[in-house]
Amino acid sequence: MVGKPQHITIAFDVMGSDHGPAEVVRGAAQLSLESPHIHALLVGDRPVIDEALASIKHNGERISVHHAGDFVGMDEKPGEALARKPESSVAVAARLVAEGEAHALVSAGNTGAGVLACKRHFQLIPGVRRAALATVYPTRGVRGAKQDPFSLILDVGATVEATAEDLVAFAVMGSAYARIISRNERPKVALLSNGVEPQKGPPRVVEAHQRLSQMPGLNFTGNVEGIDIPRGTVDVIVTDGFVGNVCLKMLEGVHDTVMELAQYAYKESLRWRAGLAMLSSGIERLKDITDWEQYGGAPILGFDRIFIKAHGRSKARAIANAGKVAAKAVANELGTAIQEGLAK
Amino acid sequence: MSLPDRIDPRPPRRIYRWDLDKTYLQTDFESLRDLFRTAFQKAHEKVAIPGASALIRELAEQGDSRLCIVSGSPKQMRAVLEEKLKLDGIQWDEFVLKDNVGNLLRGRFRALRGQVGYKLPAILESRVHAPVEAEEVLFGDDAEADAFIYSLYADLIAGRVDERVLSQVLEAGGVYPDDAARVQEAWKKIPIADPVRRIFIHLDKLTPPAHFTPYGPRVVPIFNYFQAALVLLADGHLTAPQVLKIAVEMVQTAGHNIITLSNSFQDLLRRGLPLQQAAIALSQAMEGPNALLKAMRPMPDILAAFSKRLAALGTQPPPPRVQAVDYVSLISHALPRTHKARTLKPPT
Repeated sequence: MVGKPQHITIAFDVMGSDHGPAEVVRGAAQLSLESPHIHALLVGDRPVIDEALASIKHNGERISVHHAGDFVGMDEKPGEALARKPESSVAVAARLVAEGEAHALVSAGNTGAGVLACKRHFQLIPGVRRAALATVYPTRGVRGAKQDPFSLILDVGATVEATAEDLVAFAVMGSAYARIISRNERPKVALLSNGVEPQKGPPRVVEAHQRLSQMPGLNFTGNVEGIDIPRGTVDVIVTDGFVGNVCLKMLEGVHDTVMELAQYAYKESLRWRAGLAMLSSGIERLKDITDWEQYGGAPILGFDRIFIKAHGRSKARAIANAGKVAAKAVANELGTAIQEGLAK
Repeated sequence: MSLPDRIDPRPPRRIYRWDLDKTYLQTDFESLRDLFRTAFQKAHEKVAIPGASALIRELAEQGDSRLCIVSGSPKQMRAVLEEKLKLDGIQWDEFVLKDNVGNLLRGRFRALRGQVGYKLPAILESRVHAPVEAEEVLFGDDAEADAFIYSLYADLIAGRVDERVLSQVLEAGGVYPDDAARVQEAWKKIPIADPVRRIFIHLDKLTPPAHFTPYGPRVVPIFNYFQAALVLLADGHLTAPQVLKIAVEMVQTAGHNIITLSNSFQDLLRRGLPLQQAAIALSQAMEGPNALLKAMRPMPDILAAFSKRLAALGTQPPPPRVQAVDYVSLISHALPRTHKARTLKPPT
């Protein structure tokens, strides 16, 4: 387990994001200007990184480069790609973190490859059988000292079939993450089910409910339904990777459809256009507070090292914020907090 | 036979020219408030950039160099600046300050902020009295026009810039006719030689290093003075133990650490500077029972970190390309920041 370091080094997988390496380099450069205690280790094609870095404002004392000649593309199958490309940027970055050259990994590349690279190089925290991919979702309510308008949902795809034991571990991990990153002292944790009653849901959810109810130190509030996700009834929603992923994709689909409908309305009728124009400042404000870029990325929880998966479409600001979130998780010893939570 | 009144010092083999604000001293004059604070600071309140005083002291160790300071600070600050240099244990040979009151009284407002018309004649006039074989290393920063002026100076005395280009540059730079005449006069007195080895630009404003690429590999933008020390070790101006002393001062007084120093080293390697031999020399300097080196506790770790940073690069980047500097097209680099966007009228 990594102790509490004075200076934190974050390894950035520079290659493979939707906007290309220059955007990740820009994010790391921004981080080098804003956060003196964070150092960026850029892993990827050295000449490409150097060219991008030389032309942007950065602090060279806080950035180093590790050459990796290959990368995994977004459309590649993770297992096959990593087997074929052992020197891909995400694999090299994960290895460097495992070797102690950096404290955490940030990648905006292929999610599956990132998770698999971590599985190969990192160790699971004692008491955790499977890792969970968490994500934040904008909600009606705000939470924690940071007034985050997001709730955390996990797992959204790392572990498709989770047991009751896995769900319990996910709840502890999500609670620790919300406590540290959102500065929410007692985050409310719930299981996603098809009813709020304890006996509702498949056997693994019922069993997990029973075990979570008896866990001291965890603010478990019971079950929630799908409708509670956007309402923000609780701070951490726990489910398995299959259901979580379906929920996430559906929520994204609803969001996209609403946007398309708004665009349609804007084009279709002058009255609707006027209405939207009158609402524009409110919409902008809403966009600001629910801007996922400020949150940086989604954590992969359960490993002894931190991995923040930034969105594939991340721009420099989101990358820099992902680096800050990773550094915060390292500085507050997230791994230790999870381990202690599981031991209770 | 009587003895001479004084024994002439040895002619300098090397000349180190330094700017002060933002090159040697940490100075803020982005706002009027900063400007006032800087003007009324006492000597002991002024802070040198980490490693700068150690570097100057180590460069002076050989005893055959001259330290020439040309600063844009007003003459009225001489006493406090001299006191600061003395506090830092620095001895200088020349110390030129700007006559801002004189410029103001004579209505030469362009000269208040302009750098080309002030620094270029000052360093050319200084070179007139230098032995032709004395090589030079210049230190400036990215706040004003140091890279442009120093490079122009180097190419003028090397005979790489002709009179036509010089006239164009002086005109476009808004240089007053009397200052332009001083430039021409001093330039003509200097025998053609190519003495300028390096121009270090301290990246106070963190200007992207690629901004200085048009000046060629002689100009080395640096994030800190450890980087300058490494290049000067490779260039034969410093020894490895001297570089270690500079690094130790930066570690002990300015919060530098293994990561910042090894990142600084790798940053130069990535820009194609040939520092492998310098790294070997540093490793060798660490060997043996040297009490001073034992005091430098983090050094072995730093050298290990250097090796890792070197290995992390894969193949060694190619050295930067040597090219002729197109001063006319770079003239915007030489103008005071507020004037850059404006169309310049010819000086009257």
